[in-house]
Amino acid sequence: MSSASIVEDRGLRAWWSRSERKVVPYVFISPFYILFIVFSVGPLIYALYLSLHRWPGTGPMRHVGLGNYTYLASDPVFLKSLWNTVYYAIGAFLFILPLALVLALLINSTLIRIKSLFRIGYFLPILTSTVAATIMFLMIFNNQFGLINQGFALLGIPALKWLDEELVKISVLAVATWRYTGINVLYFLTGLQSIPPELYEAAQVDGAGTWAQFRYITIPQLRPIALFVGVVTMIGSFQLFAEPMLLANGGPNDASLTLANYLYRMGFSNAKLGYGSAIGWVMALIIFGLSFIQLYLFGAFRKED
Amino acid sequence: MDGTLTRHAQRTIAYGFLFFILISMATPFVWLISNTFKEQSEIFQLQPTLIPEEPHLRNYVSLFVDFDFARHFLNSAFIALVHTASHLFLASLAGFAFAKYSFPLKNFLFLVLLGSMMVPLYTIFIPLFVLVIRLGLVNSYAGVILPGVAAAFGIFFMKQSMEAVPSELLDSARIDGASEFRIYWQIALPLVRPALAVLAVLAFMGSWNDFVWPLVVLRSQELQTLPVVMAGMVNLYRMEYGMVMAASLLSTLPILLLFLALQRQFIQGLVVGAIKS
Repeated sequence: MSSASIVEDRGLRAWWSRSERKVVPYVFISPFYILFIVFSVGPLIYALYLSLHRWPGTGPMRHVGLGNYTYLASDPVFLKSLWNTVYYAIGAFLFILPLALVLALLINSTLIRIKSLFRIGYFLPILTSTVAATIMFLMIFNNQFGLINQGFALLGIPALKWLDEELVKISVLAVATWRYTGINVLYFLTGLQSIPPELYEAAQVDGAGTWAQFRYITIPQLRPIALFVGVVTMIGSFQLFAEPMLLANGGPNDASLTLANYLYRMGFSNAKLGYGSAIGWVMALIIFGLSFIQLYLFGAFRKED
Repeated sequence: MDGTLTRHAQRTIAYGFLFFILISMATPFVWLISNTFKEQSEIFQLQPTLIPEEPHLRNYVSLFVDFDFARHFLNSAFIALVHTASHLFLASLAGFAFAKYSFPLKNFLFLVLLGSMMVPLYTIFIPLFVLVIRLGLVNSYAGVILPGVAAAFGIFFMKQSMEAVPSELLDSARIDGASEFRIYWQIALPLVRPALAVLAVLAFMGSWNDFVWPLVVLRSQELQTLPVVMAGMVNLYRMEYGMVMAASLLSTLPILLLFLALQRQFIQGLVVGAIKS
């Protein structure tokens, strides 16, 4: 027995010393793939399965085919949350990104000498948690003593109800602008600083003005970073959750509700796990689709890149 | 543009705009800090005060006495530290394997890894919660930490810096009979310390500020993390404004201090995705 185990041990050891380098990389990467399969791939497939069923979280599931999806198409609250989410995404593209680009261009220009003050100053809000930032803004938007209405009062402007149905989406966008402008300034600055200065020197020799340089050098050269910023902003906007939830609990009258808020409401508050999962799959399809369109528009699939 | 404005005027406008935005962004935060030292009645005043008229620490005291702030602070710290340590270990180990070995299916597996970053959180949210219940991990820190610990971005990031580790160094250790794990642990890991610092900062901040996942996984109040407890304070104690603001400020402090200590790593970490794209 003992001699047999020694032989076996020797064989194992010899095998190990021969194949350690072949086996080890798989061992090293396996935790990721195990966790990925258990906590991402599995749930992704299970979400699809759930979305074809009606299930309150306990008891038997009832197969409803595509019923959840067809119901979504006529669910006014879902359509409202979809519109709100699109509104936030458009707002981010029309407001946050242009602002960030202008700030980055100014910081990068030769006009400005104290660059790091602005770079770091704009960046600081991203360090706060969405919860802390939203709590802060909840008070800034307060009708009676909020900072904005206090300021308006000093200027003799009548107070506005920032968290009412008409203005609440603007207020959510304001929180997002406060938090996310700085990080996008950093992204654009990274892009601007990677443009070779020889391009501008050559253009100046050829007599190109500031505008021509901007139009024919800066914009085309910023394309890769703009694609990155665009995809990140789009994905982020479509997953907006904490700001509308804490600012107005998705309301009033669902005016600030996002897709993620509605999914949470259905899946967790109303225990409609199948319906919530269907919302999740619609979100995934929208995000994949829009990412693909952006990659296509920016020519990421073209051969020369 | 050049002809219409002198350079001096251009500069004045540029600085004016940059400072205007900077002040707009800083004002809410300054107002928040000032309000944490105020009595409720002073916060409600029509005329806002920058310096509190009668500054006091009662908001902070009641935060610790009535809300057990210290407990929730430690919960958040524990979760963030365990998350960060395990993420750094798994990410650097896999990053090392992808950078320094060639093995069948490597490219395919790496593509799968990159693709995994595309899975939207909310799509898997409900089934993930069902899974966590089935695994008996609901209301436990393991349930909060485990699903997010092997994020692909960290592996992608560590692979880049592991590639710079000279292979000759690893080979000479092999000749000396070191095991592959030892080579990773004692030779490769110390050489990528700067990259580990960047990743640590990102992982810590992500976990510290996370809201929605601990919100659903943790059921008992005493286990709950800071952001969730703070969000609850808004609903239950709408009137205690000074205290809620004090909580917001204190919860931001660790990240702010980390940022001041490791400014370069922070910024590098946050733009690295943009550069690599």
